[in-house]
Amino acid sequence: MQKMSNLLKGKQLVLSNGKCITKKRSMVPLILVIVLAFTYLSVVITGFDLGLLMRRWKEFFILLGQMFPPDLNYAAKVWGPLIATIQMSFLGTLVGAVLAIPFAIIAASNIMKSRILVGLTRLLISILRAIPTLVTALIATYIFGLGSFAGTVSICIFTFAYVGKIMYEQIETVFMGPFEAMESMGNGKLYAFIKAVVPQVLPIYLSTTLFCFEGNVRYAAILGYVGAGGIGLILNEKIGWREYECVGMILLMLYITVFIIESISRALRKTFDLRGR
Amino acid sequence: MILFEHVNKTYSNGFKALTDINLKIEQGEFVAIIGLSGAGKSTLIRSINKMISVTDGTLVVNGENISNLKGKSLRRFRRQIGMIFQSFNLVPRTTAIQNVLTAKVSDMPFWRVLLGIFTKKEQIEALEALDREGILDKAYMRVDQLSGGQQQRVALARTLLQKPQIILADEPVASLDPITAVQVMEDFKRINREDNITVIINIHHIDMALKYVDRIVGIKAGRIVFDGKASEVNQAVLDCIYGEEKEGTIDAKNVEFVKGETVSTI
Repeated sequence: MQKMSNLLKGKQLVLSNGKCITKKRSMVPLILVIVLAFTYLSVVITGFDLGLLMRRWKEFFILLGQMFPPDLNYAAKVWGPLIATIQMSFLGTLVGAVLAIPFAIIAASNIMKSRILVGLTRLLISILRAIPTLVTALIATYIFGLGSFAGTVSICIFTFAYVGKIMYEQIETVFMGPFEAMESMGNGKLYAFIKAVVPQVLPIYLSTTLFCFEGNVRYAAILGYVGAGGIGLILNEKIGWREYECVGMILLMLYITVFIIESISRALRKTFDLRGR
Repeated sequence: MILFEHVNKTYSNGFKALTDINLKIEQGEFVAIIGLSGAGKSTLIRSINKMISVTDGTLVVNGENISNLKGKSLRRFRRQIGMIFQSFNLVPRTTAIQNVLTAKVSDMPFWRVLLGIFTKKEQIEALEALDREGILDKAYMRVDQLSGGQQQRVALARTLLQKPQIILADEPVASLDPITAVQVMEDFKRINREDNITVIINIHHIDMALKYVDRIVGIKAGRIVFDGKASEVNQAVLDCIYGEEKEGTIDAKNVEFVKGETVSTI
């Protein structure tokens, strides 16, 4: 027991003039043990089987082979759901990111002095973030009925929680000097926030929102599985019917779309100068 | 006029920053507050515009007892007091003129603040303030691309646009090189003389304080230990202010050196 407490306490170093200082013990070995333990547990629980992986991995390429050549005639029927998917993610991201602004401000402890308000807002954000998008989409279909509206709502909720979380953390790390200067000139917190904090976090806000939008396009693609509209609906259907040429076509078009959106988003995000922070 | 009467300040952690402060500063004076780090200089200066509220005692600024001020009346009161900071406290990522224009924001309607719309008159005023500081050509440059001295001048221009009666400066030259520091001190002197603005600065550079200001207030461990003309300051006074704090005597010259700033000689 004595040894154990010594281990946690760290090492005493004595200087030549008799002064004593405690050197903090490295946490690396402990963390390593924990990570290894969890890895082992995960293997046991999930029934991870290397043999199965070795035997069956070829099946993937057989499936992939069946998708080629993709059925080009089917493309005409993909456009509708594909555009619905993009619309869902676009609208959901926009509304969610805008809604996130006031909540991010309230959740930032350097702006809001009320601990209760900060805590409650953070709780709301973390609860919403904990629910997988697929689950919110499923719930949304019960409330708003099948279709892309349910998908939009679920993407909106996810974006709200994601952007809200990142933004309140960013707001907390801004340089508060200008804020103090604004207050010293006789401005209230709101004016001080707009003029001193917004310029510092705006590029990060836009960048985060765009990044979230990229991810949302991919999320939106599977929301159809629970009936929340978009391309997932036909993807699910064609896999069910084992019409792999059609599946190939859907995936190809989805891939190109995602690629284009990500390229645009990356180019846009580069223009937000993140230097000078 | 600024009047402190038996002012005390105790922080919530129990630290007593100011003890029985009595001080009277007339309009148009140029005062330097000197003392060791942690002596209470910043607390003293920030209590004048109530960025820090004092615990007890009366503090009257321009005929107004400021202990009762809060909310809107406090914000209105603060508009007549400019503040300059050691780290300039400019908004990064934005231009010099945008920073100067923030001085106008307190009188603007919400939608104009949000959208950042300033009238031509306001913009001209801001440019004139920058011109007075000799950095008109930097108006549309981002402040993070300017040198320390230029940034402090942007901050001064911002304060001037506020048209204050009092300027409080918390270590305004501590993060500047000696040459730039002299220029900024000249700026303060000029503003003080030309506009009859009261200037109160916290400063570590004693030689500079003695050269530019009219009056020195020395504080030690939260108490005023010296208050007099700059010409009255001698080694004995400095020993009293900076005096035998820890092991060995630290004289004023070494204090500067220890703090990693420019070595000053008296």
